[in-house]
Amino acid sequence: MLAQKLHLLRHNVLSFVSSRTGSDLTRRQYDVIVVGGGHAGTEAAAAAARLGAETLLITQKIMTIGALSCNPSLGGVGKGQLVREVDALDGLCGRAGDSAGVHFSILNRSKGPAVWGPRAQLDRERYRQFIQSELLSTPRLTVLEGSVDELLVSQPNPEEPGHHRVTGIRLGNLPQTSHNKLGEFWPIPPDRAGVTESVDGSHPILSSSVVLTTGTFLSGSLFMGQTTSPGGRMGDAQSCAGLSYTLKETLGLRVGRLRTGTPPRIVKESVDLSLAQLQAPDKQPTPFSFLNTHTRCKPEEQLPCYLTHTTPGVERVVRESVHLNCHIQQDAKGPRYCPSIESRVLRFPGRRHQVWLEPEGLTSDLLYPQGLSMTMPPELQLRLLREIPALHRAEIRTPGYGVQYDFVCPTQLTPSLQVKSTQGLFLAGQINGTTGYEEAAAQGLWAGVNAGRTALSLPPMALSRTQSYIGVLIDDLVGRGVTEPYRMFTSRAEFRTYLRPDNADLRLTPRGFEEVGCVTLRRYKKAVSVRDGLQEALMALQSVALSSTRWREKLGNISLSENKSTTLNGLDLLQYKDVSFEMLASAFPECLSQYFEYSQRLKIEAVYRPHCEKQSREMERIRSEESLSLPSDMDYLSLPVSLSQEVREILDRVRPNTLGAATRLPGMTPAGIIHLLNYVLRTGQRNRHTEHRNRSSQKEGEKGQLCASNIPISQ
Amino acid sequence: MMFTISTAFEDLAVCDAETIFALSSGHGRCGVAVVRVSGPASSMVLRNMAGLTQALPPPRTALLRRITDPQSKELLDRGLVLWFKGPHSFTGEDSAEFHIHGGPAVITAVLQALGSLEGVRPAEAGEFTRRAFHAGKLGLTEVEGLGDLIHAETEAQRRQALRQMDGELGRLYQDWSYRLKRCLAHVEAFIDFSEDELIEDGVLNQVDSSVRQLETEIERHLKDERRGERLRTGVQVVIAGATNAGKSSLLNTLCQRPAAIVSPIAGTTRDIVETSLDIGGFPVLLSDTAGLRDSSDSVEREGVRRARQRVEQADLTLVVVDSTQLPPDPQLVAAFLQEHLSTVLPSPEAGMTAASDRVLLVLNKSDLVPEEQRERTEGELRERPGLPPACFLSCSTSTGLEDFLTVLQSRVKTLCGDPLSGAPSLTQARHRAHLQQSVQALNQYHQYRDQDLALAAEGVRLALTHLGRITGRVGAEEILDIIFRDFCIGK
Repeated sequence: MLAQKLHLLRHNVLSFVSSRTGSDLTRRQYDVIVVGGGHAGTEAAAAAARLGAETLLITQKIMTIGALSCNPSLGGVGKGQLVREVDALDGLCGRAGDSAGVHFSILNRSKGPAVWGPRAQLDRERYRQFIQSELLSTPRLTVLEGSVDELLVSQPNPEEPGHHRVTGIRLGNLPQTSHNKLGEFWPIPPDRAGVTESVDGSHPILSSSVVLTTGTFLSGSLFMGQTTSPGGRMGDAQSCAGLSYTLKETLGLRVGRLRTGTPPRIVKESVDLSLAQLQAPDKQPTPFSFLNTHTRCKPEEQLPCYLTHTTPGVERVVRESVHLNCHIQQDAKGPRYCPSIESRVLRFPGRRHQVWLEPEGLTSDLLYPQGLSMTMPPELQLRLLREIPALHRAEIRTPGYGVQYDFVCPTQLTPSLQVKSTQGLFLAGQINGTTGYEEAAAQGLWAGVNAGRTALSLPPMALSRTQSYIGVLIDDLVGRGVTEPYRMFTSRAEFRTYLRPDNADLRLTPRGFEEVGCVTLRRYKKAVSVRDGLQEALMALQSVALSSTRWREKLGNISLSENKSTTLNGLDLLQYKDVSFEMLASAFPECLSQYFEYSQRLKIEAVYRPHCEKQSREMERIRSEESLSLPSDMDYLSLPVSLSQEVREILDRVRPNTLGAATRLPGMTPAGIIHLLNYVLRTGQRNRHTEHRNRSSQKEGEKGQLCASNIPISQ
Repeated sequence: MMFTISTAFEDLAVCDAETIFALSSGHGRCGVAVVRVSGPASSMVLRNMAGLTQALPPPRTALLRRITDPQSKELLDRGLVLWFKGPHSFTGEDSAEFHIHGGPAVITAVLQALGSLEGVRPAEAGEFTRRAFHAGKLGLTEVEGLGDLIHAETEAQRRQALRQMDGELGRLYQDWSYRLKRCLAHVEAFIDFSEDELIEDGVLNQVDSSVRQLETEIERHLKDERRGERLRTGVQVVIAGATNAGKSSLLNTLCQRPAAIVSPIAGTTRDIVETSLDIGGFPVLLSDTAGLRDSSDSVEREGVRRARQRVEQADLTLVVVDSTQLPPDPQLVAAFLQEHLSTVLPSPEAGMTAASDRVLLVLNKSDLVPEEQRERTEGELRERPGLPPACFLSCSTSTGLEDFLTVLQSRVKTLCGDPLSGAPSLTQARHRAHLQQSVQALNQYHQYRDQDLALAAEGVRLALTHLGRITGRVGAEEILDIIFRDFCIGK
């Protein structure tokens, strides 16, 4: 029975949709095809489907959809902000984290709410189950197990910029996988289990929008000790040779090479946890998702983490094994902030490094040694581990290994994550040079949104770096490119006092529903009611005004810097460190007590509001520069404006997406910017006039259109 | 490197809430200097500095007033003030003008008084014109001109910044900037990594004391009436060329005294020889430099390095050529000079090309060249595109000196007409404004240090941004570089 289901799934998922549409048996065309089932791919597929696009997700192994390939955790400082934002746009990872978390904590609790980092240790099985069942219940989304051999491209649509156009993919021979227990995670709903049909090996599936989220599988190689083998993850088939060829040779994309790695997994029983320091979770777990008031794991069911440290013996083993370690001798760029234990020891010798022993799940018998990613031969990995007191008799279940993989230089993408030269081709995740689940999920969601919009003939959209970490992430990638795996830090966001984890719903959910279309009505209603509630509460706070003397009388002994006669309202008062909303509400119960549910958010808002107001001018400037888009097919070398040859060459090489990006280019001159601005405004005006004339006769081609509307210029 | 786009271009498309001021007339010997103010606070500025407590004067009407310092009420000057109510002004905003006496002391005092007012700051390069552009006061065809203007102004500022960064003051600012960068990097490291990493204990305590130290130093500097060092004032004219072309003779001829040692031995001048001159009423700082040649002598090599550096910072370069070395065939002279200039001048990326109006060719030792050859060569070189003007001159007989001085004078005059080229008072006002804002921002660090580290870090960031307006911008990547250099971040 199980075998039968397997057969059905692996070869005939295509037929599910046909069973729903009813007309033809096999659907060979989709609005959006997403290749890859990792954090980027799942968010992309779900987002495109939410937008209303018929979406196909193709993955090598259905079983590994939603698998956490590396660390069993989600969120953190900077990354937690991304999770909150993905959730605010109705993505999956926040809710999956709430379902799978077994140890929740808010990092940076003492450093100010803007830089709080919601984080959780995850149960791998629960995470995978949540993602898989979520995808399965998403309308308009079909999942197919297969390997993509080729990207189909043809001549571009001449009315839009680009040299190629995506028309679909060709499936290669399905890999002979040997996984089992599939049905356990992947029940087939009765309405889909209908017609069966076999699919031959080189099957084209058509689509005008394709999202590639190939992770480390693009020309990936695995390293352990002195052995190397092709692949993107241990235990999975290699892939994407044909895809890699299409990207490099057919589309002429510039690619680079990066490396990463993962630590050995340790048998929990073999660890002497009494020699490590216990790290307890928060007493009350804080959910990632704005929709959740509590997490699946009960507070008392949470698992602890353990902290231990490296010893001089660890350093000795690393030094002695360098000659047996191919990975660290390679010159592909690895991250400076998530280095292997080898590079940590070699770069900062003579120090004690932290090692976190993290649970892998409620029922797992493994521990994940965060900070001990390594690529030396397995026997030396064991020797190294045993140099750490708590691990002195540790057993390894699976050894650590390194991965090197190709990434596409992300400056070749637009802010909608589309490849500039290829209409309808979107990239997200590690293929763009990032690292981390959260970074992948954020890009996946946004690529899925734009792939869906393209398929539905809607104009592409960008997120501003003044509005979200996702915007910062994408702007950094497409504007500056990467030289090492890119990870989010709060210090990358110049407006981080505004881009807070607490207000991601207000920043993104209304827009996600009203303009983008990726947010469901349920979430939208919730966000609107929160927004209105907060607004009312802020007004109520402002309406209670007293002199500082009177405040002191009401609230007891608080230190107010203002002199006695100054009148302060409730919002002013809430800025003070010692004043909480609860105190104010007990002083004015009649007008404030109804807003108790917002007390924390109100306190945060009160503290940050004055600073955000100060920054608003700078934010406005960046937004207006971002809104001046430069057409990606602009011929800079012959543009009829006075630009020096050097500036022309810089512009031609980098092809900035917006005037804002152009101003940040090294070598760009202020005069060049003025000329460019002038040209863009002039062309924009001409376009508007043409549009005006054409509006009645035809649908306007919005894409690549110059929108200069919020530049204050009067004629 | 000194002025990135972002600083020079910071208000690209914003309706500005800030009020700006600048010296609009050139420096040098002028009877009247004009200081312009534009922005919403213009009327406040007039009220505060021209004692107009009752009503503002009718728009566009000159009024003679006592101009006083808004804080100390000290009399600065008596001059004309004008009020322009927006949109009927050059920028389309409320504007004001002060016509004051042209002495450097008066100008400096007025500019500093303006900078001390809340919400008022010195203008960035081309900012007045840019505001006019955004207010729709410039036709789109005039924008090409705006580009050139901004280019000229940022170039002038860049050269000036290069000059300053060489000096004592520049080193001081660079040092502050470096220390502030480290402070910020360490706070950021603490925010982004301390939960997972071993960030050494006491990182923040170190930052506390560094920030306090910086505050003290900057405040002391702002109070210091001597301002550390005298900014070199005047148009910077540099004499450059091959060895033994007669550069030092030219310096001596121009300043009419033997300021530099001249000898027939190549490589006599090894260091920079500076002298102040008055050319046609404009202040000029003339520098003689070591002859450019490859030398094995380390002292001379250093001299050559300094010479090249000085050329890069110059407002005007006089390239001296030994006429006897010119090809006898006049038709080949242009190509020869072109080639020669490319060895003397910095690469074109530095914004200086042979055709630029910042170069003059001096063909020295003309007395040693046959008259007929000289005349034919002169004819060949007249208005040659791609070549700067060339003057035949003999430093030993003074033949041709009159003509050369006429050309030089007109160049200096043009350069002085640009109010931004090396006007030290404006630079000082800019620096003061940014330094004051830097100190204010650092206060924010202490204010929030224990309450909210994100807001405390914001203060350091802001302080660095203001300092960066003087020393060059600091980006997020640079901060991350320091973090990864100073800490082992490994998670």
